[in-house]
Amino acid sequence: MSAEKQDQLRVAGVRYLNARPLWEDLKSDPRIALSLEIPREVQRMLAEDEADVALMPVAGAATLGDVFFVPNMAIAARGPVQSVLLVSEVPLEKLEEVALDLSSRTSVVLAKLILAHRNIRVRFTDLDPTTARTPQEMREAVAPVVRGTRGAVIIGDPALAIADAFPYRLDLAEAWQEWKGLPFVFAAWCTRNPNFAASDVARLQAAKTAGLALRDALAEEHAAAHSLSPAILARYLHESIRYELGDAEIQGLTAFFDEAYRAGLLPKTEVRFTAPLANRPLTPVPLETLLGRAAAGERLSVAEGERLLAEASLFELGLAADEVRKRKHPHGVVTYIVDRNVNYTNVCTTSCRFCAFYRPVGHPEGYVLSREVLGQKLQEVVDAGGVQILLQGGLNPELPLTWYEDLFRWMKAEYKLGLHALSPEEIIHISELENISTAEVLERLHAAGLDSVPGGGAEILVDRVRRRIAKTKCSSEAWLGVMRTAHRMGLRSSATMMYGTTETARERVLHLAKIRDLQDETGGFTAFFCWDFQYENGVRIEPGDTGTHLYLRQQALARLMLDNVDHIGASWVTQGPDVGQVALRFGADDFGSVMFEENVVSSAGTTFGINAAGMETRIREAGFKSARRNVRYDWLTPPL
Amino acid sequence: MSVLSNIRAKLQNGERLGFDDGVALFHEPDLLALGQLANELREARHGDRTFFNKNMRVEVTNVCVASCLFCSFAKLEAHMPDAHTMSLEEAWKELSDRMDDPPSEIHVVNGLHPGLPFEYYEELLRGYKRIKPDVHLKCYTAVEIHFFAQLYKMSVREVLERLRAAGLDSLPGGGAEIFDPEVRKKISDDKATADEYLDVHRIAHSMGMKTNTTMLFGHIETYEHRVDHILRVRTLQDETGGFQAFIPLAFHPDGNGMKNLPAPTAVDDLRTFAVSRILLDNVPHIKAFWVSSGPDVAQIALRFGCDDIDGTIVHETIYHSAGSGVPQGLTYEHLVRLIQEAGRVPVERDTFYNVVKEFPKASVGEAAFKVRDRKAKKHLAVVEPVRSLGGKEIAG
Repeated sequence: MSAEKQDQLRVAGVRYLNARPLWEDLKSDPRIALSLEIPREVQRMLAEDEADVALMPVAGAATLGDVFFVPNMAIAARGPVQSVLLVSEVPLEKLEEVALDLSSRTSVVLAKLILAHRNIRVRFTDLDPTTARTPQEMREAVAPVVRGTRGAVIIGDPALAIADAFPYRLDLAEAWQEWKGLPFVFAAWCTRNPNFAASDVARLQAAKTAGLALRDALAEEHAAAHSLSPAILARYLHESIRYELGDAEIQGLTAFFDEAYRAGLLPKTEVRFTAPLANRPLTPVPLETLLGRAAAGERLSVAEGERLLAEASLFELGLAADEVRKRKHPHGVVTYIVDRNVNYTNVCTTSCRFCAFYRPVGHPEGYVLSREVLGQKLQEVVDAGGVQILLQGGLNPELPLTWYEDLFRWMKAEYKLGLHALSPEEIIHISELENISTAEVLERLHAAGLDSVPGGGAEILVDRVRRRIAKTKCSSEAWLGVMRTAHRMGLRSSATMMYGTTETARERVLHLAKIRDLQDETGGFTAFFCWDFQYENGVRIEPGDTGTHLYLRQQALARLMLDNVDHIGASWVTQGPDVGQVALRFGADDFGSVMFEENVVSSAGTTFGINAAGMETRIREAGFKSARRNVRYDWLTPPL
Repeated sequence: MSVLSNIRAKLQNGERLGFDDGVALFHEPDLLALGQLANELREARHGDRTFFNKNMRVEVTNVCVASCLFCSFAKLEAHMPDAHTMSLEEAWKELSDRMDDPPSEIHVVNGLHPGLPFEYYEELLRGYKRIKPDVHLKCYTAVEIHFFAQLYKMSVREVLERLRAAGLDSLPGGGAEIFDPEVRKKISDDKATADEYLDVHRIAHSMGMKTNTTMLFGHIETYEHRVDHILRVRTLQDETGGFQAFIPLAFHPDGNGMKNLPAPTAVDDLRTFAVSRILLDNVPHIKAFWVSSGPDVAQIALRFGCDDIDGTIVHETIYHSAGSGVPQGLTYEHLVRLIQEAGRVPVERDTFYNVVKEFPKASVGEAAFKVRDRKAKKHLAVVEPVRSLGGKEIAG
């Protein structure tokens, strides 16, 4: 890397029109490395230290918790903003459902707060962000969604272009102004560096000054590209959007953070600034206060999670997690499932550095299980009262989608077992092999009998880590994308984390925050399991942070961070039945699965095996009742 | 007032806990709150310091006249095919082979062999001291000492004096089992009674010897029996002050006369460690013997009242014959790592808990030693791994 490149300021900007005046002038600056992305990606880049400063949606800033605002620049509105509108065919109070792009977190929180303030109770459903480019296309994309008692929040160009198409519309920024008498801040420059250089602040200020002068030109250019009215866009950039972060905006932002915190939608957040603005001296919350908030089920920021992991004692974390578990599962029941783990093939093209299982294509030890062998295994599951097959394998380039479809249809026809199959990595592999979308792969597999998607292969959902442990593995965004798609079509999945390779404690917490963010959108995750990297002969990375204490702390933290995931499982298969049992007191309400003899997972050379009676004894001795479950965590037996 | 806050109040007032308190502690459903109390008491005594040593286990004979139901090791007669008694040369070789990295302590525990001369036991000790004069000999349980006294028609004091003259430094704690006479009769009818066992320790203490003591839990005894046992230890300790460590030992069922019983679970292990720490206000150390509970649970136990994790051991056969799947020894580095991962300060000690070497505390998860071979971590007997795909296939 050249010295010049190292000196560059890494800036991540939101690529939408209303943000352009803030970054347009930076595009040609050789001292700036500018990335223009959608808001979610901007947030990711700042969180994962791929950007020094980012134009953060304010909900993202709250999620991270340890960000500093750069003074006096924002994307805000005093009164109507025009581009964030709730539209409907009926008056607001008649609405029963509101569709919106659930990944647009700041708007989602604002919509929820305003509707709650007006005592309007609705169901929120996901609206795909439209790719339509002309007003006509936008109308066609949005119109079918807005029907009867179902309204929609439309954002950006569609809002500007087609708002007049609906009889009822509520400008959310205007509604905020009416409620609070304060402006609404959508996004602002944020950094994680409290000593962010004054010269860099000055550079961003200069870019803003230059950018504001370009507003007419930007409006014209955008209008031409999208067949929109230049006059509307110019008025939008000049009058609707305000680029100041003055006292009123700061008050508005503080009010928003307070309301969202009280509603349980965002972590408790204070607006803090980089130099040269003087912050009030930072008095960190006492650890006890933070633990109390965690135990009460309040939403925690990444920074707070990181602090708990570093500073709270084993007992403090465990007791807080146990409190949360008790509130979520007041019956004192710990569930388990009787299922079987079948690896249909060990042929794999990925060659993860931590895996001792895979064989390359053409290797003499490579296998694909025959129907005969599979049938025998499945029959044994049925005979033993099992309810599910967990089917996963390597990324075998010789198995087309039809192979899976045929297999699934045969399995569902012959055996009455739940099919929990193919982790995101495998779905992506098949989509690449077949050159079709992952959505199409999932739809076809779903039609062939797929019931749910296992959450394996998540490892750590931070790309720096993924690149180091498995170069060819899908990106974290791709993994989450498959889960988003699966959840949207009604498939449920689990979520997992494998830690103890090369990640930092912060990256483990970021992983949890990403799962929580997606769960806010889809609600599709049933449960979360974590485990430490299991060292075996033949693997090619050094084990990192491991040990029973870390497992218990990590699992407890997952219970505290994942306020929107119902179930936390204790991974006895990797930790052993002893530690697994103790882990039940650290926030878990599920004990995973009874496995069959040859699929018993060996943990670093250890083979653990316990049967249903052994599980029930351990659950009971840990002070719980036990019940068998299916993949959706319905009880199949009365708690004993 | 909850049980725990009631007990906390008593402790704060300097009031001694009684039998009913002990039973109530065993019944406390909130394992973590119980552990937290034990942890406070442990930290008040030892802070983060956690002890281990470089020791070596030798079992010179598995021939035994006793027929303890819980034992899968001895109860053999000398002519049986599995019976084995080491020659003195064999036994000494175990030490001389290790002189490049010698243990600081040798721990000898045996079956009750009816046919060996007393001189064998004396000579064994002398031989060890010849090889390594400063090695600490912690040999022969109170049950053996009592057996020697009967067999060789000497008083207990005489036995101890002769052995001390031959090099004996202290007594291990084995053979305590459960003191309650009815339980003891059922599981271990034909060896030293509780009173006889405690008497040996009393005499040893009066001679200025330090000893350890144990409790075998998780078989047919009740919580009441455990509390009774712990309190008997406390009473003798009030009298003599000679116990260094109390070591709760989890019963292992494989291959013995109680194989139909389930082994106690990890939660029961932790509960027993914690209650032991809370009740035993006069015994300095509570040891999590990693061979008994497994290194993983022993690691957790370092927050449930225990401040000692035993040592490197090298070769243990008694628990292993009862189905313990843990390895027969742990490396020194490994013990340090286990302790550091628990957020504690590893202290290598000698038998009298003098500091040999103190290590820094590592922050959670950042142990100073990185043990490369993870097989050594979970340490089960080598089983060909069937698992695969990193973490993938175990996804819930």
